[in-house]
Amino acid sequence: MSKSDEKIICRCEDVTEAEVLIAIEQGATTADEVKRLTRAGMGHCQGRTCRRLVNQLLAKKLGQKPEAQRPVTQRSPLQPISLKTLADS
Amino acid sequence: MANHSDVIIIGGGIIGAASGYYLAQAGLKVRILDRGYLGSGSTGRCIGGIRQQFTSEGSIKLMMESVRLFGEMSEELGTDVHWHNGGYLFLAHDQQRKESFLQNIAIQRQAGLQDVRWIDAYECRQVAPGLDINGLLGGSYCPSDGQAYPFAVVNGYAQRIKQLGGQVSTFAEVSDVIRTGGRVKGVRTVQGQEFLADVVVNAAGPWAREVGALAGIDVPVEPERHEALITEGVEYLGAPMLVDYRSDGGYFQQFKHNGQFIGCYSPVPNVPGHSSDSTYQFLSEMPRRMLKLVPALAPVKVIRQWSGSYENTPDGNPILDRTPLDSFYVAAGMCGHGFMLGPAVGRRVARMITEGGTKPPLAEFALERDFSSKEAMK
Repeated sequence: MSKSDEKIICRCEDVTEAEVLIAIEQGATTADEVKRLTRAGMGHCQGRTCRRLVNQLLAKKLGQKPEAQRPVTQRSPLQPISLKTLADS
Repeated sequence: MANHSDVIIIGGGIIGAASGYYLAQAGLKVRILDRGYLGSGSTGRCIGGIRQQFTSEGSIKLMMESVRLFGEMSEELGTDVHWHNGGYLFLAHDQQRKESFLQNIAIQRQAGLQDVRWIDAYECRQVAPGLDINGLLGGSYCPSDGQAYPFAVVNGYAQRIKQLGGQVSTFAEVSDVIRTGGRVKGVRTVQGQEFLADVVVNAAGPWAREVGALAGIDVPVEPERHEALITEGVEYLGAPMLVDYRSDGGYFQQFKHNGQFIGCYSPVPNVPGHSSDSTYQFLSEMPRRMLKLVPALAPVKVIRQWSGSYENTPDGNPILDRTPLDSFYVAAGMCGHGFMLGPAVGRRVARMITEGGTKPPLAEFALERDFSSKEAMK
């Protein structure tokens, strides 16, 4: 295994750096696409931890300036809420 | 010419991607354009259900073909699309619904769908652990229906298209369809690029009417917002997709590959337009509807909500046809069934283009038809 295979980018969904790099090779140019191809950012924390790491990889691989990167779509709820709590709300 | 293709497909959802894949397989040079990323329109927003329980012979047979193609897809595309035949269970809580399901089952069996059957409430609970059968008469159950992961499917097709020499342009929004002498020649994008082709396919999903208008072709497709949510992953219960058509019902299933529950309902009244907003009303209402059917899901946590478009036609059936503009085709208006119909529709699109002729592949999906009948299992 290479280092990239061991380095976890998204710890909610167990996505490695190698997987993110494959998604970029396959044509992803935004963190939103990386999210949809690898599931990085689709887990419990909704990308709070991995988003910056994914953006860094995109910047490094594609030469993107951070300020030119497309913002990732933020979706509610802000933290996981049980079906029961929501149903009673 | 670097920017010339045999076929340009406008729309990188499942319809465009599947069509592109089968066209590329037939040896044509394909370019797919999407205004966003692949699957950004409707495909990537759907809940991944795949069923053969429809009420017209054409749709049933098309879906039987799609299910077969989904079954072979992971191997064919070389990527795991998470196909799983977990089944679909349509619930009947009143006699009228039961009668109509029994009629539909007869039509479905006539069309060749052998494993669909009526099951009583007790058996419903056996196939759907935890289902509250209070007031339930039974359901229409087809175990060979299933699920797959939309992004994996679309990306799998896209990667194969590229391997076969095709091209995929994302964030490329078509602003103009180039025509000369009654024939389509290519497209221009908002970003200022020009792409030429012998054939152009309108697979623009919720934007099919706008794209059609660029070519002077009216495509009667109206987008309608549907909301969805997904939970954290929990142990897989093995239940089929549950469909409850009551006014306070909905649809939800659990993905086998990661244990997440995903669901939606059809809002009454409907919400026309291109909105992709989410509402708090849905975030509280959908859990109520899920817990009414399966109370044991109470502690499972919702992690995300979003919305996407159904692209509706007046009669609930797709449009899959040539158009009055030479070499301009339309494959759109999937009415909320695009993901499941995609593989079979993609093959039909490829065949329509490579084999020529003048007739639509399916009369009931013709562009110019009487739109007054209705698909009942919508």
